[in-house]
Amino acid sequence: MLVKDYMTRHPLMAAPDMSLVEAQRFMGQNNIRHLPVVGDGKRLLGLVTRQSLLIDPGRLGSLNVWEIAGVLSGLKVKDVMIKAPNVITVSQDITIEEAARVMVERRIGCLPVVQDDVLVGIITEVDLLAHLMEMMATRHPGIRVTVRMPDVRGELAKLVAAIAAQGWGILACGGVAAPKAAGKWDAAVLKMRDVTREEVIAALSQVEGHEIIDIRDA
Amino acid sequence: MQQSHKPQTPILDVRDLAISYETRYGDVPAVRDVSFDIQRGEAHSIVGESGCGKSTVAFGIVNFLGRNGRIVNGQILFQGQDLVGRSPEELRQVRGDRIAMVYQDPMQALNPSMRIGDQMAEVLVVHRMMPRARALDYCVTMLKRVQMPDPENVIRRYPHQLSGGQQQRVVIGMALLNDPALLIMDEPTTALDVTVEATVLDLISTLQREFDTAIMYISHNLGVVARVSSKVAVMYAGEIVERAAVSDVYLSPYHPYTQGLMRCVPRLGQSKRESFLYPIRGRVPSPKNLPPGCIFEPRCDYARDLCRQRRPELRPIKLGHWGRCHFAEEIVQMGWQPPEDFVAQYTAERSVDAAARPLLKVTHAQTFYPVASQKLIGGKKQFVRAVDDVSIEVRKGETLGIVGESGCGKSTLVKTIVGMEKPTSGDFEFMGFDIAMPVSKRKLELIQELQMVFQNPDSTLNPSFSVGYQIGRPLRRFQTVPRGQVEGEVMRLLDMMKLGGRYYNRLPRQLSGGEKQRVGIARAIAGRPEVVLCDEPVSALDVSVQAAVLNLLLEIQKEIDTTMIFIAHDLSVVRFFCDNIAVMYLGQIAEIGPAEAIYAPPYHPYTEALLSAVPIPDPRAEQKHIRLEGAVPSALNPPSGCRFHTRCPRKIGKICETETPPWRDAGNGHRIFCHIPLAELRQMDPVVTVRPGNRLGRQHA
Amino acid sequence: MTMDAQTASDRKRNMRRLSPTELKRPKESLRDRMSIILRSRVAIIGLVIVLFWVWVAIFAPVISVHDPLAQDATAINQGPSAQYLLGTDALGRDVLARLAYGSRTILMLAPLSVLAAVIVGTFLGLVGGYFGGLVDEIVMRILDAIMAFPTILLYLIIIAAIGPSAINVVIAITFVGAPGVARLVRSLALDIRVRDYIRAAELRGESPWYIMFFEILPNARGPLIIDSMLRVGYAIFAIGTLGFLGLGLPPPTPDWGGMISAARKYIWTNPLSVLWPALAISSLVVGLNLFADGLREESTRYQ
Repeated sequence: MLVKDYMTRHPLMAAPDMSLVEAQRFMGQNNIRHLPVVGDGKRLLGLVTRQSLLIDPGRLGSLNVWEIAGVLSGLKVKDVMIKAPNVITVSQDITIEEAARVMVERRIGCLPVVQDDVLVGIITEVDLLAHLMEMMATRHPGIRVTVRMPDVRGELAKLVAAIAAQGWGILACGGVAAPKAAGKWDAAVLKMRDVTREEVIAALSQVEGHEIIDIRDA
Repeated sequence: MQQSHKPQTPILDVRDLAISYETRYGDVPAVRDVSFDIQRGEAHSIVGESGCGKSTVAFGIVNFLGRNGRIVNGQILFQGQDLVGRSPEELRQVRGDRIAMVYQDPMQALNPSMRIGDQMAEVLVVHRMMPRARALDYCVTMLKRVQMPDPENVIRRYPHQLSGGQQQRVVIGMALLNDPALLIMDEPTTALDVTVEATVLDLISTLQREFDTAIMYISHNLGVVARVSSKVAVMYAGEIVERAAVSDVYLSPYHPYTQGLMRCVPRLGQSKRESFLYPIRGRVPSPKNLPPGCIFEPRCDYARDLCRQRRPELRPIKLGHWGRCHFAEEIVQMGWQPPEDFVAQYTAERSVDAAARPLLKVTHAQTFYPVASQKLIGGKKQFVRAVDDVSIEVRKGETLGIVGESGCGKSTLVKTIVGMEKPTSGDFEFMGFDIAMPVSKRKLELIQELQMVFQNPDSTLNPSFSVGYQIGRPLRRFQTVPRGQVEGEVMRLLDMMKLGGRYYNRLPRQLSGGEKQRVGIARAIAGRPEVVLCDEPVSALDVSVQAAVLNLLLEIQKEIDTTMIFIAHDLSVVRFFCDNIAVMYLGQIAEIGPAEAIYAPPYHPYTEALLSAVPIPDPRAEQKHIRLEGAVPSALNPPSGCRFHTRCPRKIGKICETETPPWRDAGNGHRIFCHIPLAELRQMDPVVTVRPGNRLGRQHA
Repeated sequence: MTMDAQTASDRKRNMRRLSPTELKRPKESLRDRMSIILRSRVAIIGLVIVLFWVWVAIFAPVISVHDPLAQDATAINQGPSAQYLLGTDALGRDVLARLAYGSRTILMLAPLSVLAAVIVGTFLGLVGGYFGGLVDEIVMRILDAIMAFPTILLYLIIIAAIGPSAINVVIAITFVGAPGVARLVRSLALDIRVRDYIRAAELRGESPWYIMFFEILPNARGPLIIDSMLRVGYAIFAIGTLGFLGLGLPPPTPDWGGMISAARKYIWTNPLSVLWPALAISSLVVGLNLFADGLREESTRYQ
């Protein structure tokens, strides 16, 4: 559950001298939104995003059509990229939620992963969502149930004990503080294989103070 | 880890690549119309016989084509960017940082005068400007990841102080220092022994997963390819003829060439009695002189008019399976039956009279080589105990196979028998005569009866003399036929070798490897010897040629009832060819017996390890996973007790270290040199099991 | 050689089997060999120079109007003139004639002495290289001892001991040149003797002499020929040097080295008479070297 397990190793990258036009085509063709720029030894020099490709109108305002064409064709990736010190990067050994925190706080969609200034991978919001998907065992069919319980120690253990008593296994599990009910905790997902809805309801209704607020096949 | 959401751009996407070499005779198109792609983290093999252009493709990708090679057409998209037509400076950066290459010979990649640590760290210090101490730390970590024992010590050593397998590990580790997206490996295990090869192949698979590195693996060995990769492209004469997942290519090959290749390799466990090799006829066309239609047409059993007129395209035959054949679907439908006369010719039973007196009997043979003492003055003279207490018997008409890894003494044993080495002690009896003496002291009649076929086709013939002269020389020397009939006899021998009289005046350089080997065989049998000793006669040949030469040897044996001793390191070939087999380890025989008994339990633990290491060209075959630790000990100072105890996975205790093991007799001449009681040895599981399933035309009609 | 040994009937049978393309093969290989020479510009230049001197040597009587020994007291130390195209020397002899006849001696003596050196050196090298061990040790130490002397000193000692004459010059050059040849042949033999075809010959019980001269020597010929060609150049140099020191051919035999030596005294009055023979020696040596180098380069090029 570390960044190194979820990042894309060997991402597509560009040299600083790549022309802007080429970079645009490159990103379009390969359907990527972030392009790390590297120098010798894959040292991270900067990052090109879709935003960087948009040219500031103020820069071109005073120019005529011919001059605009000239400026555009002369622009290189290194002219428009976010330069290295300003690129927010992470190490590959931090946890995936830590990476998520950085991305949420900075409101960015992509983090180059570096080690000793050398680009080793890239992690994007899609990777995090993929991680969420995996955590919730989205690919495996089963019964997904959300149980609301009091935010007290030992409550989750009771729930798990009830499931264990039936001899069932849990595919995935996650919990959050219930969004609109103070003092409650949502064991958001308990995903189980090879059981029916009815069996689950029957088993879990035995647990005192717990309330099934959502149950579905997923 | 799920990969589906990752970007779909392949790491390497080669499109319509064509490479030519400029030579004295004009441009030679070495590679034509090659297209394939390698996804991230995928291991993709390119397999083909020598000269098919597989290495040229690799050199094209890294732009090492040399002065006279150039890319004439196509694209090489590496991570979405075309490498063709880039400036050398741009290419250098991409290559250095994102593509790494590992070659066959690790010593080519290592600087012999620099310590391992220094040359590994140099990459990081120069390239990444890492401080030296940190770089060295990093190298130790990397050596650990390539499973190098004792890495802290290894970084202080020089390359020559490491074994071949260790050197290759260092080279692989060096290649991975920059965390490349693509690792190109050109026959990285070909120079290694089979047990070492197995460990290196395991390592490659592990690293590929761990580093998420795409691997382009080039090999001629179908078995290695099956073990290491998920997809494979088969190349023939500069073109890809078939490309698909490994299991598809091996179990249901579409292209006649691929099918032919599969029929050329002996399967582990099949012998000449129950199977046969069906070589591909003819030879690979020269790139200067390609057929107008399908390049395989002149050698293809299914060729029709269309094949002669129009070149087939590499087309998808079914999902993920590409083939370059006009009639692939039909051919697969038809199935394959070997021609009847062929089956009759190669499967007729030959009987060996088991009760006959042995023709050659070697008892307690020892051959030691003296080595100069390391000390300047004094110091005892030391000996390499190359062959130490070996006893074998060979009966008339029988074939004895000797297998073992390099340095096990199999060649020395044979050299001692023919008289190229002087035995230290032991009895050597041949046809009732004592032959414990060098060849120069033997009588000519005795010399004539013991002849040899050599390994290296390029050095087996004297480049200065014609084929006819060289075959004729033993005839004249031994006066096998009257002087006037020598030429006629040479012609007969050439015919027997399926070469024909037009080869009489050719010089060795005008022959292919297989043809040279045939001439070498003709020269050996010209004097009509009783025993022919074959020292790895097919190991330097391509599989299709190898099959033809093996068939030829079988034919000769049937025709003139020659007794043979056959050395090889390829266990499938030995199993196929030999009646009896001796497995050697460090100068001694570990196990000896009838071929079928060697390949089934009870095993000597060493035989078991060897068998589990053999790469099998069949994705359905399941092998036990036994890997030997460490290197073969020095024959200068072999381990006490059982020589295999230092690496034996089944060592039973102190007794293995102190006492020489007894011979366990498993009956029918099958003997095992081991402390483990026979009853226990019998309980071992077979090493190789094949899941049932249909094979294309391998079984007997 | 195999064709010669064949009986007529065998040959006939053989011919029937040979396809037309097969019959052409030997011819092609000869053309191949010629093309190697023609491909290298360096080799062609060298060859032209050498052939020029060979031509001069053969047609010496035609080229020179005068007798090389005839002295013309009326024309001493003259520059080029219509009568004496390259002038005359201190005794009034025609320089052109002496040059032309001098080329005969040098083109006879140099290859002859090299041939002798190659024969002796090859023999010693093969014996040392093939037998190895003690034999090799003894042969090589003796040759090392000879090679330890500066060559010029060795020439002087030998000629001083046996006296100057054409045959003694040959002997001296053979003596000095043989160790070098032996070393080359030995190193080639050491390489070749481990090849499998030598093993095969030993397993036929062939004699050591057969193996040395029939199995090893033919495969050493390439480097040996190129080396010999360079050696002819050195030999010409050596003959010139000996002549210059007065240890070459006894006068009045026309000899390029001797000519330089004699003309040296008059270098201020008649510089050209020194220049011509000097030019002759250097051009011939350079020509041989160019030819040998060109050959070597071309033959190793596409390997």
